[in-house]
Amino acid sequence: MNTNEHGSSKWQAFRRFETLLAFVLLLEILIFSKTGVNFATRGNMFEVLRLSTEIGLLALVMTPIILTGGIDLSVGSMLGLCAVLFGKMWRDAGLPIPLALACTLVIGAAGGGLNALLITRLNLPPLIVTLGSFSLFRGLAEALTRGVDNFTNFPKTYLFLGQGYLFGGVPAQLPVFALVVIGVWLLVHRTILGRSFRALGFSAEGARYAGIPVKKRLAQVYILSGIISALAALIYVARVGQAKSDAGTGYELLAITAVVLGGASIFGGTGTIHGTLLGVLVLAVLKIGLTLSDQPSELAGILTGGLLLAVLASEALLKKLSARRARASQASVRVLT
Amino acid sequence: MQPFGARASKGCIAAICWCPILLLLGAMGCSKPNQSAETKRSAARQITVAMMPKSKGNAYFISCRKGADEAAKELGAKLLWDGPTDPDPARQNELVETWITRGVDVIAVAVENREGISTALRKAREKGTKVITWDSDAQPDARDFLINQATPEGIGFALMDEAARALGGKGQFAIITASLTAANMNEWQKYIEQRRAEKYPGIKMAALRPCDDLKDKAFAEATAILNANPEVKLLMAICSPAVPGASEAVKQSGRKDVKVVGLGLPNDNKRYVREGITPSVILWNTENLGYLAVHAAVAVAKGELKPGATKFKAGRLGELEVKADNVLLGKPFVFNKENIERFDF
Amino acid sequence: MAGEQVSSFVFRHSRRHLTRHFREWSVALALGLLLLMLAVLAAGFFQRNQLLSICSTAVPVLLVACGIALVIISRQIDISVGSQFAVCSVLLGLLVQAHWPMPLAGLAAIIAGAFCGAFNGALIAGLGLPSIVVTLATMVTWREGLRWWRQGEFVRDLPESFQWFGLGQAGGQTAVLATTVALFLLLVFGMKHISAGRFVYAVGSDTEAARLAGIRPPLVTFGVFVVTGTLTGLAALLNAVRFADVDPRTGTGLELQAIAAAVVGGVAISGGRGNLWGVLAGVLLLACIAPALVFLKLPPQWEKALQGCIILLAVAADGWRSVRRKH
Repeated sequence: MNTNEHGSSKWQAFRRFETLLAFVLLLEILIFSKTGVNFATRGNMFEVLRLSTEIGLLALVMTPIILTGGIDLSVGSMLGLCAVLFGKMWRDAGLPIPLALACTLVIGAAGGGLNALLITRLNLPPLIVTLGSFSLFRGLAEALTRGVDNFTNFPKTYLFLGQGYLFGGVPAQLPVFALVVIGVWLLVHRTILGRSFRALGFSAEGARYAGIPVKKRLAQVYILSGIISALAALIYVARVGQAKSDAGTGYELLAITAVVLGGASIFGGTGTIHGTLLGVLVLAVLKIGLTLSDQPSELAGILTGGLLLAVLASEALLKKLSARRARASQASVRVLT
Repeated sequence: MQPFGARASKGCIAAICWCPILLLLGAMGCSKPNQSAETKRSAARQITVAMMPKSKGNAYFISCRKGADEAAKELGAKLLWDGPTDPDPARQNELVETWITRGVDVIAVAVENREGISTALRKAREKGTKVITWDSDAQPDARDFLINQATPEGIGFALMDEAARALGGKGQFAIITASLTAANMNEWQKYIEQRRAEKYPGIKMAALRPCDDLKDKAFAEATAILNANPEVKLLMAICSPAVPGASEAVKQSGRKDVKVVGLGLPNDNKRYVREGITPSVILWNTENLGYLAVHAAVAVAKGELKPGATKFKAGRLGELEVKADNVLLGKPFVFNKENIERFDF
Repeated sequence: MAGEQVSSFVFRHSRRHLTRHFREWSVALALGLLLLMLAVLAAGFFQRNQLLSICSTAVPVLLVACGIALVIISRQIDISVGSQFAVCSVLLGLLVQAHWPMPLAGLAAIIAGAFCGAFNGALIAGLGLPSIVVTLATMVTWREGLRWWRQGEFVRDLPESFQWFGLGQAGGQTAVLATTVALFLLLVFGMKHISAGRFVYAVGSDTEAARLAGIRPPLVTFGVFVVTGTLTGLAALLNAVRFADVDPRTGTGLELQAIAAAVVGGVAISGGRGNLWGVLAGVLLLACIAPALVFLKLPPQWEKALQGCIILLAVAADGWRSVRRKH
């Protein structure tokens, strides 16, 4: 009976948090519709989704990693390295675009595999492993291009992926993004694989005793991260039209911000894909809405930090309040009996 | 035992969360048509100039902005000044695309990534927005005009000439650059090398190090270069924070035989020029650059500055030369002991 | 006979010391090897001027890395130190520009750092928010706020009393180095012998056990962040006085340098383990890489890749040891 009460109050707090975030998003949309020029237009809404695709992909794949209680700081550098290698394969090795695309995804998997190897075989904390690979991948990208080399003049058919629009003005990368969203959502929320990630996050030892192959699951999630980072790299290169070694700088922190804003606990165990998606949208709408309202970019940074703190602090306060209420009701039950 | 109830409430959460997303998509259905086409039609209203530096938080662009603000006030134009604050190279593209959505009359960009930005600028031009570049260029077919403070050739040659003058025609020097990926600095290096090979074969370049556009790091790199290469008698610092950094390194090393030249703001370097460590600093009047860029932007938006023009009158700067699609501010200016005190930027 | 007993005692004692501090000694060994290589290939590295420059660059990193080591030992993390550093430096410059006397301005800068640390600590210890997220948010907020305020402009035209505290180059350098050494020794002593120092290890090893033992983990956590903030403010002061003006972009990348140095120096991210001497070795090792590349005439691109490799190697050594211990 106690667990049921506690359980329902936990769901209460949960439901309250993601609704809070949805409310923040609605508030943003309302405010920027008033202050932003051309904010509430179809074109802009598509642009918001289009410009947040790469970070959205990274945030989506960061969610299961954070669910397992880990973290992946190397996604941005992986994006840069994949971009550079894609360019090199296409221009210097002369591979046709589809083959280069496939090879890039494989390279992403390999990079994720390196992280997975160090984390599972050597039992190293993911924070440190990915901090090291964050430097390593970026350094490799810079060394390969001697910092200067820039791959451009990709064929129009490939660039369409990042710059083209389908019928109705839908940006070409949106179907890809939507597919990944649905795929990752199904993976995390409807498969046993997804449940095992959550279990890992709550307690790795407990998960092991429950028969979950811990090392295999961790390896799978980091390799997935590598593949999705490679995909994000391909979309990035198509959108910007160039592949340079500094691609994706700072993206890892933006992805983590979106995931945490979306309600995932950095310690693991709690988090949802729809929450992450909301987080990505809140941040993207904030950035673009401020620019359309003729505000400087620094304000976006300041408000992002402030928003993150405000949302988290209010979540913590709400949890404390509901815990206090639960304790008070338990105490009152004890008094009555 | 997870009861059915828990599953159902999860469904409720999911529904609540998908709502705003659906709302967004719904908003797309009942949208107003893009206003920019209409607002462009009436010529009597205010021209909006969207101006972007390479990055915010760089003192060089503060002085450009002062000139830009002055010109905007003079012409009654609305100036939007924004730029990337983080090192993400795609941020310039994002800003340009957002400005396209907003609908501005003309976009003026100091380009960080030549090929990358051209993608977004071409899109802007397709939508009818005028595009000019200033300080560093995009691909020529992506913009209407380039406001050039000096050609990269002019800058490279001037730097090498000043270096040669300080070295007395022969010896070794080292270059401190901002980053190895910055396109315009790589171009200047090309012309520095060209000038050196043509006119000063007795001078050798001993080292090239990046300082990430940070003064403190430039100081450390300069010290290491001086200690590792005792033959180096001149440091050429081609990004503005590096010049005072290198000069301070020379001062603290106590070596009187080493000099520093570079591209930098007069205010940052006055004390070192006075002390004789830095014989000369090359730049251009950055305020005038910003001023000219806004004047040209407004003129292009109004259709007054068209391709094929050979002269352009820019407010208090008078008549300036237009070479093909380059509006030239003039030659690089050499600040030295004689004249540096006159300037305040 | 007695000689044998003494020597065997020394041998056992030093072997135990070595195995317990294996990580720290391995970093010191790596540093020694690097220095040896430089001595052979580029003896110019050991000029007084160059060594002084490396030490001066290492001073702020060392102080901040010590603070971060404390944070990591107590099982938290702080990635906002770079922004704190920049804010304190600019504040110092502006106060001196406004004709505040140097000691007072310096104190103000240190207190500003303490306040930043307290803000972090209050949210992390008071509300129980995860430290990586809080410090991520404060890092972004302070950095963007500073950028908005200064727009990248240097703080110039500072009075003579600013650079080197007005003591001139030789005097100033001595003062900076002496202060750092004294503070470092104080911290080492404190961590080992003062109970507050031991509490940090306790909270990092097992928070619940520490609580049951009567330690107040939230208070310790708060204190650790305040100490880090104070050290950052002091580091900003000691770094700023080396120059004649203040670049508001100073401190960029400082948090990564400090965390890398701490981790390479043997501080375990899982908390509860770590040694400030190891941090010192880590700081010196990583500080020598960039100038080593200049002296060995290697291309500068390799700096990042090398740092990443060193970090991974150091951490792999950690993991390998723990795997071995398990079997």
